[in-house]
Amino acid sequence: MSIDNTSYQPLGQTTSGYLWLLLVLLLMSIAGGYCAYNMEHQGHHITGMTNQVVWGLPHVFAVSLILTASGALNGATLASVFGLQIYKPYARLSVALAITLLVGGLLVLVLDLGRPDRLAIAMTTYNFRSIFSWNIFLYTGFIFLGVVYLSTMLDRKINRYTSRVGALVFLWRIVLTTGTGCIFGFLVGRSALDAAIMAPLFIALSVVMGTAILALVMMLVARWQRGILPAAVVNALATLLFWCLLTLLYFSVVHHLSNLYVAEHQADERFVLGGPFAVLFWFGHIVLGVVVPLLLLQRLRGLSQPAANKNTGLLLAASGAALLGGMVMVYVIVIGSQTVPQTLFPGKIVTASSFGDAGFAAYTPSLWEWGVGMGGVCFSLLLFAMVLKLLPLCSEAASAAVE
Amino acid sequence: MQKNNSSSPQTDKSLLARRRFLRNLGLLGATAVSSFTLLEVKAREQKANTTGAVTAEKRWGLLIDTSKCSSGCDACVRGCNEEHGIENEGNDATRAQWIRKIDLKDKLTGSESSVPVMCQHCDSAPCVDVCPTGASFKRADGIVLVNKHTCIGCRYCMMACPYKARSFIHETLTNQKPAAPRGKGTVESCTLCVHRVDRSEDLQPACAVACTDEAHSAILFGDLNDPQSKLATKMKEIGASQVRADLQLNTGVRYHGL
Amino acid sequence: MLRSLATVTHRTIVSVLCAVMLITTAGFWFAGAVAQPVIVPAFKGEQCVADTNLMRSDHMKLLDHQRDDTVIDGVRGAPYSLIGCVDCHAQRSDSGAAIRVDAEGQFCQSCHAYAAVKIDCFSCHAAVPEQARQIGLLPDNPMPHAEINRVMSLLKSTDYHAKEQQFFTTN
Repeated sequence: MSIDNTSYQPLGQTTSGYLWLLLVLLLMSIAGGYCAYNMEHQGHHITGMTNQVVWGLPHVFAVSLILTASGALNGATLASVFGLQIYKPYARLSVALAITLLVGGLLVLVLDLGRPDRLAIAMTTYNFRSIFSWNIFLYTGFIFLGVVYLSTMLDRKINRYTSRVGALVFLWRIVLTTGTGCIFGFLVGRSALDAAIMAPLFIALSVVMGTAILALVMMLVARWQRGILPAAVVNALATLLFWCLLTLLYFSVVHHLSNLYVAEHQADERFVLGGPFAVLFWFGHIVLGVVVPLLLLQRLRGLSQPAANKNTGLLLAASGAALLGGMVMVYVIVIGSQTVPQTLFPGKIVTASSFGDAGFAAYTPSLWEWGVGMGGVCFSLLLFAMVLKLLPLCSEAASAAVE
Repeated sequence: MQKNNSSSPQTDKSLLARRRFLRNLGLLGATAVSSFTLLEVKAREQKANTTGAVTAEKRWGLLIDTSKCSSGCDACVRGCNEEHGIENEGNDATRAQWIRKIDLKDKLTGSESSVPVMCQHCDSAPCVDVCPTGASFKRADGIVLVNKHTCIGCRYCMMACPYKARSFIHETLTNQKPAAPRGKGTVESCTLCVHRVDRSEDLQPACAVACTDEAHSAILFGDLNDPQSKLATKMKEIGASQVRADLQLNTGVRYHGL
Repeated sequence: MLRSLATVTHRTIVSVLCAVMLITTAGFWFAGAVAQPVIVPAFKGEQCVADTNLMRSDHMKLLDHQRDDTVIDGVRGAPYSLIGCVDCHAQRSDSGAAIRVDAEGQFCQSCHAYAAVKIDCFSCHAAVPEQARQIGLLPDNPMPHAEINRVMSLLKSTDYHAKEQQFFTTN
């Protein structure tokens, strides 16, 4: 094994930009906490959630954060498992980001519970037939393994275990994303969520969102180091994100085409492709989340190496679009599927019901839900920004001088 | 493998010994497992004998005769709400609805019917499978309940229920009935009036009583396991089906004339 | 590896620790300000289902145990029911209406306020008696004295399950 001579430090000089970011993230986290307190104190009637749309915007944020966390590990995995040296200087950042994002995601998930005060029950009483129960172990295990993984990178004495722990973490996170996908894949009562393809679809979405946020964070850290990302790294990231996006597109197309083929799912599918969620599906997921970033990245890959500044701009835009589009996709899957009426009596039309069995359910997220969701994102990033200052995660090799 | 014949002169002695050892090991294991199971069953039986704990001997269920149910009548819903202290008005999408009335029209024949839909008390209940804490559970006698002491309000059971039979309590409640503890942040659904059933098997659930009082008698409660029960004989006589029978959940609530 | 953390001076650590200690022990310094609980005698009944000291220390164990038996196994009519607590201990106002046991100064609340333990029962359970006896959630007749004495003698052991078994076998 080659000796690693790269030196790492905590984030150096404190720029005013860093401090401002810290302040904003802190305030947003506090606001999120207040929203969560209100939701628990008043009850969920202050949200847009109902007995039909039982999981709302907080779940969209939580699932997105969890998927992104698993995907953010890409940098470390590529460096220590697949031996791509170009990602080596970012491996520590990648693991720290994955852990902090997962913590934020779990926080949102817990704060959206009807009884968050009973977290102790959730952590001590298990029903092992429940995919949710498995996920509790997968998530806590991920955090634990992540910390071990980061330690092997930080401490030279146990450096030699990095690749082995890395391989374990890689497997773990594939299982974790599968588990998250399975939550939405085996619900026999909701036809849109009764599809085993959800697991690979979520894995594809996870690598897209994770790569995108990692790219954004890498650019930000390089900026704080008063440099820019080296052109080679930008191009490597662009290629990675490009192929991840194509994979996502592939699974998404297979998912929807197979739904169109099965008579039982056709009504739901027409709803996704042409109902009230159609705009979000076509413009959010397909155009913003896949087509736009693909085009931007294709453009970037065609540019010559030295145009680094321009490259960075394109990667920034592509990553941002992929991240937003990914969240929209989660929104369409989680919320859209719940607004479709559940068919209890095939072959019959519902002419009257006191509980909306006839038509599509409405859902408008309230400000409180936005607060909890955004609070979770900000809390993740706040943790990450602080960890950056405390632990030696940043390498000199991570940025190039501005020309 | 060669033919296993212990009298064959070619049989290797060590092979025989190993076989015998493995067989004994298997027997030992089987004995251990079965005696543990027996002990457990016995303990349960004993508990049932001494304390009146419910057993799988009975399986409670409902038979709903849709030919007797009329559109526009919601006596069962009102009876249920009164029994459990559930508010009748409010936002339909967020208030608790243990029973709801659905009016149907056949796409082909145009024939109309009206049915009450409540928790179907499935034998293989999806809500029980998905609940992370085991709060959603099926009693030995087939009644599916939420143990609100361990419900954390995650609502996964509501995602899993094919019948939309569960309600999440969105607001702070006051003036609950002693027989029906209910509270904000937990999930609830039809209990098959477990507090009445436990007291006496002759006490029908509130919905059935209300329906009879309205002279419809469309809801019949009884033991599905007992072929002599009124419910079973009636079901044999008029026939009944399950809602979403394709899901093979073996529901405890059956409908005639769907 | 955590060299950067070492830059936090000892003085900072000591002052933070002091502050934490002060905050966490605040209760001791101001303990005199907490009022003694008012324990109102039960509205009805002369004898509780168990000895007073045992009820004070272990009422939740009794309730918890019976609650699981009742909710999960459908065991009804066992002696330690929350409905039973409310049935005896809820006071009546001048107008004759029942007062919630978790209202300010009432039986449950005043002791719990003193012990600083949040009561989680009555966000779901009824805090006033209401026809509990009529619908058969309580035994039709209040427990006879001999019965209470027997239950109390059983309660001297700490195995609640065995006690319950005994209670039912001899009942």
